[in-house]
Amino acid sequence: MNEVEQKMAKSLVSIFENVLVAEEKSLRQGYFNNLSLAEMHTLDAIGPYESRTMTETAQILGITVGTLTVSVDRLVKKGFIERKRDEIDKRIVRISLTRDGKLAARLHGKFHKVLATRVLEPYSEEEKALLLSLVEDVEKYMKTQVARYEDKDKLRQTAREVAEDSRRRQTDG
Amino acid sequence: MDDKGDPRERIEEKKDQIYEDLLKIITEELGVSPMDINPTLEVREDLCFDSLQLYEFVVDVEDAYDIRIPDEEIDKVRTIQDLVDMVYALTEKDDDALYTDN
Repeated sequence: MNEVEQKMAKSLVSIFENVLVAEEKSLRQGYFNNLSLAEMHTLDAIGPYESRTMTETAQILGITVGTLTVSVDRLVKKGFIERKRDEIDKRIVRISLTRDGKLAARLHGKFHKVLATRVLEPYSEEEKALLLSLVEDVEKYMKTQVARYEDKDKLRQTAREVAEDSRRRQTDG
Repeated sequence: MDDKGDPRERIEEKKDQIYEDLLKIITEELGVSPMDINPTLEVREDLCFDSLQLYEFVVDVEDAYDIRIPDEEIDKVRTIQDLVDMVYALTEKDDDALYTDN
């Protein structure tokens, strides 16, 4: 690894860790300190104006409906989310933010915007556009990495199933 | 064609109504008398809205008028009159969208 690559690796990890720490700290010191960062991101995924199904929300967050159910139960108890039956199809349950949920999501969204404003502040319009396009490239690359690991997980699962089938056939035979 | 009277009068009436509504929400949220409020007061300086109070107000106004107020619009607001103008513009935008849809 050359010097530039070393510095880049260090900076990427540091940015990731510090964004998380800053988000956690802003939550702990803010008005909604009874919310965890994961819970705040669940509120973000639902959005202040939407009423979403559990499946939709789980897809946005990239988690299973089972995991989301645990989080939503907790957020309903804390008063940030409400569950309602769909007005047309009563079999469908929709989740949306309560007034407190909307407030928390709006204030947290503001934190993200202030972060971006402060990072971009020292640069000219041209430099901002360049920085944004470079950061978007990094983001795109990270998404392909995540997709690769997900594919590998699926591949391992298939391999395990094939191995189990094969063992079962040998035992039966 | 125009069955709603003088358009300027209609705009003023609607803005007056919005001012009355906002006044109710502000006095309730801050616990102040309506007599202490006037359109030239600055939201952050004179009313001393902190960020939570400001967003509580925004969420309530969004709910009352069924509109969405983006952060960029909130940042532009200085006085109560600015708030009235912003709410008016956003409700008109929604009305225009309704007409376009029909």
